[in-house]
Amino acid sequence: MKKMSVFMLVLMIGLLGAGSALADDPVRIGLMAPLTGAWASEGQDMKQIVELLAESLNAAGGINGRKVQVITADDGGDPRTAALAAQRLSTQKIVAVIGTYGSAVTEASQGIYDEMDIIQVANGSTAIRLSEKGLKHFLRTCPRDDEQGLVAYQTLKDGGYKSIGILHDNSSYAKGLADEAKTLLDKDGANIVFFEALTPKQNDYTAILTRMRASNPDVVFFTGYYGEAGLLLRQKMEMNWPVPFIGGDATNNPDLVKIAGNAAAKGFRFLSPPVPQDLDTPEAKAFMESYRGKYNGEPGSVWAVLAGDGFRVVAKAIEATGSEDPGKIVAYLKNELKDFPGLTGPISFDAKGDRVGDLYRLYEVDAGGKFVLLP
Amino acid sequence: MDLFLQQLTNGLAVGSIYALIALGYTMVYGVLKLINFAHGDLFAIGAYLGLTLLTTFGLSQYLGPMGVVIVLAVMVMGLVAVVGAVLERVAYRPLRQAHRLSAVVSAMGASIFFQNALMLVYGARYKVYPHDILPKNAVSIMGFEIPLVRLLVLLTSVLMMVALYLFIQKTRIGTAIRAAAIDQRAAKLMGINVDRVIMIVFLIGPALGGVAGLMVGLYYGQINFTMGWMYGLKAFTAAILGGIGNIPGAMVGGLLLGVIEAMGAAYISIAWKDAITFMVLIAILIVRPTGLLGERVADKV
Amino acid sequence: MKDVRPVIYAVFCGALLLAPFFLNAYWVDVLNNVGLYAILGLSLNIILGHAGLFHMGHAAFYAMGAYTTAIINTSYQIPVLWLMPLSGLVAGVAALVIARPIIHLRGDYLLIVTIGLVEIVRIALINNVFGITGGSNGIFGISRPELFGFRIRRPEHFFFLIWGFAAITVFLFHRLENSRFGRALNYLREDDVAAEGSGINTAHYKLIAFVVGAVWAGMAGNIFAAKMTIIAPESFNFWESVIMFMIVLLGGRGSIPGVILGAFLIVGLPELFRQFATARMLVFGAIMVAMMIFRTEGILPPRPRRYPAAVADGGGDGP
Repeated sequence: MKKMSVFMLVLMIGLLGAGSALADDPVRIGLMAPLTGAWASEGQDMKQIVELLAESLNAAGGINGRKVQVITADDGGDPRTAALAAQRLSTQKIVAVIGTYGSAVTEASQGIYDEMDIIQVANGSTAIRLSEKGLKHFLRTCPRDDEQGLVAYQTLKDGGYKSIGILHDNSSYAKGLADEAKTLLDKDGANIVFFEALTPKQNDYTAILTRMRASNPDVVFFTGYYGEAGLLLRQKMEMNWPVPFIGGDATNNPDLVKIAGNAAAKGFRFLSPPVPQDLDTPEAKAFMESYRGKYNGEPGSVWAVLAGDGFRVVAKAIEATGSEDPGKIVAYLKNELKDFPGLTGPISFDAKGDRVGDLYRLYEVDAGGKFVLLP
Repeated sequence: MDLFLQQLTNGLAVGSIYALIALGYTMVYGVLKLINFAHGDLFAIGAYLGLTLLTTFGLSQYLGPMGVVIVLAVMVMGLVAVVGAVLERVAYRPLRQAHRLSAVVSAMGASIFFQNALMLVYGARYKVYPHDILPKNAVSIMGFEIPLVRLLVLLTSVLMMVALYLFIQKTRIGTAIRAAAIDQRAAKLMGINVDRVIMIVFLIGPALGGVAGLMVGLYYGQINFTMGWMYGLKAFTAAILGGIGNIPGAMVGGLLLGVIEAMGAAYISIAWKDAITFMVLIAILIVRPTGLLGERVADKV
Repeated sequence: MKDVRPVIYAVFCGALLLAPFFLNAYWVDVLNNVGLYAILGLSLNIILGHAGLFHMGHAAFYAMGAYTTAIINTSYQIPVLWLMPLSGLVAGVAALVIARPIIHLRGDYLLIVTIGLVEIVRIALINNVFGITGGSNGIFGISRPELFGFRIRRPEHFFFLIWGFAAITVFLFHRLENSRFGRALNYLREDDVAAEGSGINTAHYKLIAFVVGAVWAGMAGNIFAAKMTIIAPESFNFWESVIMFMIVLLGGRGSIPGVILGAFLIVGLPELFRQFATARMLVFGAIMVAMMIFRTEGILPPRPRRYPAAVADGGGDGP
């Protein structure tokens, strides 16, 4: 029983620590990211990028002379932990929160932020319904599944493929994208010969590839993540199966080529918003310079960069409105912010808080393993 | 028919890796009746250590592919064995007199610890083995193109199993291990140093897990800090399927599990693959409550 | 030595009852999670702690309860709390059907079968089985519970719902433990051959324990669905089962205070360790090993049963 009282004591101390943080000076912006768990790599990239941007912003004088403080909470990539993280952040006097990654995870936190009048700018949650609930303070820098589905449909149609295989990984993102593309293709009467889900994080996909090969598609559209895409490409080559693969934006990660190897990755195409490496705006160049200087490498996925963009638009809105009033900031973002030079191309939001504009580009991997933007 | 045979080889390739990990599981279980939930993470540690050794020493400059694999395997086995022995000393030995489920919690704590340690040391992103270590060519057997690497993996696990079996059956230490597996107290009375036997088991089991990790790294190329969890669960399933504590059982269970997975994906549903596997497992256990080959654990559980 | 336990329990309950008036929403919500897992832990405790069945698939029944509530609430707008008995019933019936053929399996074989069970359920949910589970998106828009016309919405409100239910659980399970049924379970846990020999129908008792635990987990699932308003298959993976398993074992098998303490530690500690950022789960793992090493039978193992001669047990409510 002694242990129980010690534990309660520790709990109380923890509370005091949490409560006694000062709240005067800096502009406080939250970041909710999966720092542990299966999506830890995404979450840690998000944290790196947002912290880097906050540092450079503070070095340049902050927002209207006030410093910015980023408060991070780990959502573990799981809805229950995310609800806790959201509760925690909402007690810390933040104006806005950036994140998070998974759609179900974001959804578990949406209501909590909305009740507390905290602006939420999601970076990787593409499920359509998130912005269809009429929440006042919800925005996102990533495009929605239906938008990417449309682009995917266009690309597959323009390719003139006779038979199409679609593979997803049963995550809500990949499934959503696959479903969107399939609905549009079905309307056109396209011949979808294969529509299945693999189980992510299992190294061996030869059984699936063998089965898919038997259905003989002209092209395979894979909507899952880069890790599995890399392995699929690699094992496909080992099987001597030359079918072209097209990926969704979750495959936009340099690690894909590392996993697949240059030879297997060559010719792989994917749809994605542009990453700062490909943009020649001054903002993108400055960002890449400071990123390389600090972390000695390239940013991983596009989602982490989208978290950076979320931070930048929020900072911009606070600066422009000179206010921390969520209503004003959101009104500014939705109505006045037009073609803000983001790290992933120009950013504007519509009335629902979704990012608008023609965002997607088609990339191809060249023989040297580089991602080349196709015209 | 072609497709069937193709899927069979796919399944055997995956299964041989499950079997290799299951060997370590089953060995530790045989002596300690402990489900070492950290075993999968020792496997992941093996994969990461293999990558570190490969890149720091630049082995492929001096040796041919086979040489690299053998030298690496020996080093990885040695290092992971040490980790395993330390794990036993720190996390399991103090619990040996306690209820066996207490050790399970300790094992899970160790598993969480190892997994997060790998993430902190190596980062959360995927790590990738160099592509040019193993030859990519395939050999033709009875008109089938089978990648050389797959044969290598299968061969390694069969070799390991035979070696382990002979070691347990024919050597003095093996006899001591068997004695300790049947009754630790009686073994102690017969002058067997049970602590030492357990230490040896905890050197061999993790070493096998570690070498399996190396194989996965070399074969698939991509490793990740969470991989131990999935492979650990699969290997545990394999060990139970064959009859836990039973060395040939682990081998049979592993291969069979791989084949069931491949066949489930091929002929029923890819998305339901793992569910099908577990349904088959449950069906088998209902008919044969101690696994296919029966367990080789004398003690009442 | 005078028994100080009742005093400590009283202080603990008092502190807990006052907690929502002093803590901010976040810590109240942490306590809500602790409470929810305490209920789950207590329900698993019947199976694992008392009957000694190695059951690592409890999240499957939790999921069935949560999904039952979510599906019926979103399609027929039946108030959430009314669905609690039904959630328990669905989970219980499922447990009865599933457990019958596997209940005779021993130790680790039962363990892997129950792990398989939770995986099968999760995969079925992801694959949108019968077209009603919403696949990996899960089900959203579950309505908030109402109690006597009061809408339970904020963490402080849920605190009283969850801990109120936890209190009922403790009361009932305490009664159960000390009944004929509870004693029979403990007997067959220690030696089921001997128990069988003394005329206890072990399979029957094991099955009842399994069903009771599942019913309770299903009801906890109902509260979870009401609290989250969105549920997705990720919330019911194998890891959730492992957490419940650890709560029971860390606290002390078969001990109600132990299980509650276990819930505080397993759910609470990762929150206290947030300052370690990415290393928080590493620290958590190390502490788990340490706690097990220092308290090998759990932190608060049950006290040996005492049978005061003067107090005649009324025979309990067992069959």
